[in-house]
Amino acid sequence: MDNSHKLFYGGIVALTVILIGCGGPPQNNPLLIQAEESYRQAESDSLIVMKAPVALKEAEEALEQSQQIWREKGDKKYVEHYAYIAEQKTKIARETAKLNAAQDEVSRAEAERQKVLIEARRAEAVAAEQRAKKALEEVEKARNEAKDLANRLSEMEAKQSERGMVLTLRDVLFDFDSANLKPGASNVVQELSNFLSEYPERTIQIEGFTDSVGSEEYNRSLSQRRADALKMALIRRGISSQRIQTIGYGEQYPVATNMNEAGRQQNRRVEIIISDENGIVTQRNQ
Amino acid sequence: MKHWILPAIILLMMGACASTKPPTQQLTQLETSIKQAEQVGAENYAPLELREARKKLEKAREMVSQEKYEEAELVAEKAMVDAELAEIKTLSSKSQQAVDQLRESIRVLQEEIQKNINREQN
Repeated sequence: MDNSHKLFYGGIVALTVILIGCGGPPQNNPLLIQAEESYRQAESDSLIVMKAPVALKEAEEALEQSQQIWREKGDKKYVEHYAYIAEQKTKIARETAKLNAAQDEVSRAEAERQKVLIEARRAEAVAAEQRAKKALEEVEKARNEAKDLANRLSEMEAKQSERGMVLTLRDVLFDFDSANLKPGASNVVQELSNFLSEYPERTIQIEGFTDSVGSEEYNRSLSQRRADALKMALIRRGISSQRIQTIGYGEQYPVATNMNEAGRQQNRRVEIIISDENGIVTQRNQ
Repeated sequence: MKHWILPAIILLMMGACASTKPPTQQLTQLETSIKQAEQVGAENYAPLELREARKKLEKAREMVSQEKYEEAELVAEKAMVDAELAEIKTLSSKSQQAVDQLRESIRVLQEEIQKNINREQN
């Protein structure tokens, strides 16, 4: 190698050093290493690979550019420039994947919300149907109860009057001029107490009446004692005294003439007025 | 031996003096990208990335005024990816919030339904 050659090569080396701006062999570039590491992690993340392939590709291209310049011992400035681009593009890929995943999730959640709403409406419909059925059953039950009540009362020869159900009992209960219940009255008492046990919301009013034989005051007192005797019999069978009102009307409110025995027999009676379902008894019009 | 030296020198020189005019188009693009990031709400969701992009835009303008066009172009290129990151990060954060809100609304809905069912059964 002659001197001119030495000079020439020396010139080339100097020029290269000036142009590249870096002496000696290039060291590992920390920014490039970091970009490589970031990219490696993103690349092994299946979510990013699937949801952000384009951004990942851009990151890879920038990284390859940085690596190539580094390998060719190019300007550190460019190595780091593309390393930075690669690093940011990797982050962009990561965020893009997150964005796409979130949007998929929004669609899924939207569908789920619709499903839940439909489910809610169905549950509401089922509940409404059950409520309607229950209401219908209650109406049916009330009607049956009313029918049953009417049947029971008709068994006791009760009559529907403007005061509600009224049960009129003659002769069967008491002997002439006596306030003691006849043994034969026990059937009536039994029926009445059964009825009151079965319909605890009902109350009764027992009204006593006589014919016009005897003084008015005496007759009033007799009819009261008779009504009370019937009440006592019911209390003995476990019916609360609170549910039984008694009134002695004496000769008042005759239902027939007192001029003959047939009429007087009609007038000697006990009327039992059944309350409505609220326990209210309609009183006589004075 | 000389046949590759001249092209190599020319290539290196070209690389060194690639930018002889200001990167006006890149700067306009960068401004647009930053504006876009701002519009989606990057100020709240990606403030660091957005600030990074703005800082680099300033630097690029400074380089242009000093007629360091190549430097300006490089800085602008970096700022572009910063702005892009700011925007995409904002969008992904917002989407995640939408997902969370939707999930929460479904949870509340289901709770409400369960309450109704329980009331119905009692």
